[in-house]
Amino acid sequence: MASTKLYAAIYVVLFAFATLQVAVEELGFLGEAYWVAFGAIIVLSFLKALVVAGYYQHLRYEPRSLSYLILTGLLAALALTVAASYSIT
Amino acid sequence: MTTDGQPMNDSTGDDEAKTTDDGSRRTDGRHTKADGGHATTDSEFATPSGAGTDTEDGHGLPPLGSVRRYLVTTNHKDVGVLYIVTALFFLIFGGVLALLMRLQLWTAGQGLLSAGAYNQAVSIHGLIMVFWFLSPFAFGFANYIVPLQIGAKDLAFPRLNALSYWLYAASGLLLGVSFFQGASFAGGWTMYAPLDLPMYTPEVGSTTAILALLLFVVSITVSSVNFLTTMHRMRAEGLTLRRLPLFTWTILLTVWMMLFAFAALLAALMILSSDRLLGTTYFSFTEGGSLLWAHLFWFFGHPEVYIVFFPALGVMAETFQTFTGRRLVGRKWFIASMVLVALQSFGVWMHHMFLTSINLQVKTLFMATTIGISLPFDLMVFSLIYTMIKGRIRFVTPFLFTFGALVLFIVGGITGVFLGAVVLDYEFRGTYWVVAHFHYVMVGGVTALIGGLYYWYPKITGKMYDEFLGKVHFAAYFVGFNLLYFPMFLAWETPRRVFDYPPGLTPWHQLATIGAFVLGASFLLMFYNLTASLFTGEEAGDNPWAYSTTAEWTVPSPPPLENFPGIPSYRSGSIDFLAEDERSAIGSGTAADGGELTDGGVATVSDQATDHAPGHERITDEGEGEDHASIWPLAIGVGAFVLLLGASGFQGASFPDGFAGTFYAGLTGIGALLTGGSLFGLTRERFTGPSGPFGESWPFDGIENVKTGVWIFLASDVVLFGAFIGSYVFIRVAQGWVGWEPVPHDPLPGLVNTYLLLTSSFSVVLAMVAAEKGSKRGVVASLGLTIALGIGFLLNKGIEWQELFHEGLLLSTNVRTSTFFLTTGLHALHVIAGLVIAIYMLTRATRGAYLEDERPIEYFGLYWHFVDIVWLFLFPLFYIL
Amino acid sequence: MSWFTQLPEPTSLPVQNGIVPRGTMVEVFRQIYFVFLVLGTLVGIVVIGYMCYLAYQYRDAGRGDADGEGGEGGEDGEEVDRPTLGELPTGSGGGRKLFTSLALSAIIVISLIAWTYGTLLFVEGAPSQGEEDFEVDVTGYQFGWEFEYPNGHTTDGVLRVPQGERIDLTVTSRDVWHNFGIPRFKVKSDAIPGQTTESWFTASETGTFQAACYELCGAGHSAMNAEVIVMEPTAFEQWYANTSNTSANATGSGNATEAGANATNATTTGAPNGTTNATGGNSTGNALLGATTTRSA
Repeated sequence: MASTKLYAAIYVVLFAFATLQVAVEELGFLGEAYWVAFGAIIVLSFLKALVVAGYYQHLRYEPRSLSYLILTGLLAALALTVAASYSIT
Repeated sequence: MTTDGQPMNDSTGDDEAKTTDDGSRRTDGRHTKADGGHATTDSEFATPSGAGTDTEDGHGLPPLGSVRRYLVTTNHKDVGVLYIVTALFFLIFGGVLALLMRLQLWTAGQGLLSAGAYNQAVSIHGLIMVFWFLSPFAFGFANYIVPLQIGAKDLAFPRLNALSYWLYAASGLLLGVSFFQGASFAGGWTMYAPLDLPMYTPEVGSTTAILALLLFVVSITVSSVNFLTTMHRMRAEGLTLRRLPLFTWTILLTVWMMLFAFAALLAALMILSSDRLLGTTYFSFTEGGSLLWAHLFWFFGHPEVYIVFFPALGVMAETFQTFTGRRLVGRKWFIASMVLVALQSFGVWMHHMFLTSINLQVKTLFMATTIGISLPFDLMVFSLIYTMIKGRIRFVTPFLFTFGALVLFIVGGITGVFLGAVVLDYEFRGTYWVVAHFHYVMVGGVTALIGGLYYWYPKITGKMYDEFLGKVHFAAYFVGFNLLYFPMFLAWETPRRVFDYPPGLTPWHQLATIGAFVLGASFLLMFYNLTASLFTGEEAGDNPWAYSTTAEWTVPSPPPLENFPGIPSYRSGSIDFLAEDERSAIGSGTAADGGELTDGGVATVSDQATDHAPGHERITDEGEGEDHASIWPLAIGVGAFVLLLGASGFQGASFPDGFAGTFYAGLTGIGALLTGGSLFGLTRERFTGPSGPFGESWPFDGIENVKTGVWIFLASDVVLFGAFIGSYVFIRVAQGWVGWEPVPHDPLPGLVNTYLLLTSSFSVVLAMVAAEKGSKRGVVASLGLTIALGIGFLLNKGIEWQELFHEGLLLSTNVRTSTFFLTTGLHALHVIAGLVIAIYMLTRATRGAYLEDERPIEYFGLYWHFVDIVWLFLFPLFYIL
Repeated sequence: MSWFTQLPEPTSLPVQNGIVPRGTMVEVFRQIYFVFLVLGTLVGIVVIGYMCYLAYQYRDAGRGDADGEGGEGGEDGEEVDRPTLGELPTGSGGGRKLFTSLALSAIIVISLIAWTYGTLLFVEGAPSQGEEDFEVDVTGYQFGWEFEYPNGHTTDGVLRVPQGERIDLTVTSRDVWHNFGIPRFKVKSDAIPGQTTESWFTASETGTFQAACYELCGAGHSAMNAEVIVMEPTAFEQWYANTSNTSANATGSGNATEAGANATNATTTGAPNGTTNATGGNSTGNALLGATTTRSA
């Protein structure tokens, strides 16, 4: 598994990403190009989630089956969200 | 009586004296329950007759004859029996409601029941049959048979298994109580919004019924995690997934579907309960509340169809093989079809919504997926039919039932194709065509499960049922069934759930009513047969059926507490029971003959080696010391019952005034204390479950049971939160995405909370690192920091909410505030649960725990990081965007 | 009794436009239903018959337990490998047979559904241009139906339509989920609060027919009917001309008070097939919260 140093470095990155997300809003990007800013913020969230899952939950070092397990759940939730929202557009 | 169809002569000889002795003691115990009552209440049978052979190795488990045993047992076979008996009780309950409906329908118009009572009968009949009867009935068999079939001594988490049962029993009791609180729920089993809101169904009993279902879903979730861990991790050597017996296969897929589908229902029911109790406005939200419910419900509801049907399919496959004396034709494809169906079942739900305002593109898409899902079933049906070729078919009761079930299923399937054509569905929607179709499918499934009951009855009780009465039962059942449901096709123009129908259809409805009573009466025969056979039935022997193959028939009937005389292994291609020392040879990877195993065996050897090393040995020494009794699951069940009964009185975020309010508030308090206390008791209790090394653990090799369980639970939690976030997205899309303002005016408190949670995640990691290094101070300090940060998170959130409340933004203000408070509130509840665990761990850590074995910290970390990840999405969605 | 007991008799010859069924909802339904029924019955009889044949053919007639004897119909002399207790489960071949059967059933099912899809597009399609459609708004409530005509005239519980003309229905609900259906004319549409759904029908005969609710909506569900009176076109014209735009009975007023908070930012999203997420309209959308007034015992 990873060293404490790596864990600390990841912590700093997570911290920075969270700040960046708010910065995107505070600097007014959300008002100017909503969907671009939206994409950036969501991507940042996914990156953070990946890092936490990969290192803090050490999925990186586990058998892939655990990652697939969680991805299946995510996929089910996404299918529900996307299809349901699409059905009323 | 040995009828010609029952070749039991060849196997009875193999019996050992032990069986007889076991069997006679079992008789007493069985009697308590075979008549459908609660094992818990009939104390007159509490004759502790058995000399204590079971007590010896049972670790405080009372003997089989006593009622007390069933209150504390955690053994999978006892729990299985409890499930079967309780489910049969609910069959009677739901059946009586159905008979009331049929009586009402004898003539058109008002009759026996008032309009409100009729709607309650319709709704609760549906809820009971789908939830409280069908699945638990199948899971009674699953509990009893699956560990035997896969070669496990018990489920991975025996106490959680007992807990699932007691939560199920408590939820059923709660549903029963709901009838005495004004009226029970009357909005149909689909519970469409907004009829399911207090505005339209204001009775306290309606809330109780919904909370009962909520509790049932919790029970299912616990059970799913348990079964998946067991079935993936604890299979006998050589029993790869591809080699699993078909009944076990169907249960495996059923549980996978349950894990995800019920998580969506859990979300739907949580939101509904919140709408009812706290006054949030999700489902009364005008632009899409009704549709939101329909989406959430059917996203669960369609997989549910297969969840109730798959176990029946498994029983069919097993009995077809046994009673035709043929192996299943195209077994590989049969399994592949089931896997395909299980996957596709999550992509067809909108075919229940063809008449709503969803757009044509989506309708087309879901029409295509619906046809797609019907085809694998064709293959399965043909596979079963072709299995009969060159068979030596014996028409004993179990086979009669499963053969009949296949006929009924074919009729149900063909009539289902009618509904798949959207244009026809437009007309059939809401009519008896639908009713007839799904009864042919679902009660067709029940037919197979009844076959399963006869099939495994000798195994469970050690006695043979009366074959003649069994055949009579089948005849009456089959005639009654078709007399009941076939006329519904002919009278299909009757609208569903009404008691007023065109007078011209009266003859059909009267035929159906007659059929209903024939069907109902046929069950009396069954109950009589199965009860009487306990006393007068012949000894069944280990294996009363020729050509049966699965492992449950290789052990005595009923099987001893530890199931097998040794460690089951399929190394040689068929089952052997190895002695302890033989196993250790496998375990250390020195099995020289590993190379010649049947496929999968080679992998086993290496699996074992990895499995062994990290630490199974550390938990317990060997399997001998396993426990089989705990009182806490029952206690938690009682606590949950009281708690939810109390909560049912809560409406619009407060208890009513006066005596009723005090009563309900008091119950809530007592229930909370009871539940909390028993949970604590469960945690404190020393309990040894089955431990490894296990034979086959794909795909979770080398991931210890508890860890596997935690991850599986987290996967279902992903769907739970996913459904909450999905609801938010849906509502926001319905209202227009961009015009939506986040509820908090300022993202800063949210950002601070993000920092707090991220830091706390980091400190949990530090705690684990410290534990690995053996630093007690480090563990205590990091855990303490985590708790402090978690509390800081909650305080910060509390202040933020307080301010919003002061501005007049409450949960019930509008749908924006509802989604905000409820979704982040659910997250806060997760944080609180995590804090409770962390505080418990901190107290243990101060006494030096976790230094030897840091895994509890690691597993807690998995949960805590997950909660963190959820927040990483909630924060931008609810504060920024 | 003009209940919807029997299938309507053919009043006009089915309009067959090539292979895809078109015409009124009744004609479309009858043609497709007929084909499905015939094929379904046929398939059912063949499959179940074959099952029963196999069951009889390979029944165990007490010929002893010696394997390899071969069943009566079994290819004699062929050794039949029976399963044994405790063996690892395996299958017994037969893949090709299985896939042939699957392919057959797949062809039947897929071609049937594909065939009806053309009709679905026709049914869902916009009214043909040039034709004058008669549009009626249908609003369900606990427990009855309200109809609003193009000229603003509203009636409660009685829908009058001209014979032979295509009637377009726009259906919604004022309180809970209902479903409006006229079985005689094979038209049905969900009535969902806050949503509108569209459907149409053509009444080919005059007379009085029944409309009913097809979704459980509360205690009065069983009796939630309305009358559909189909009139001669000329008689209808006369009647319609005499209606002013005053309502037959006042409905749904004063209900939209507290619901305002609910609809914070109502953006109506346009929908390709005419589905709209209506918010205001004729006060139906927002009346949800106040609709308790219309409840009856």
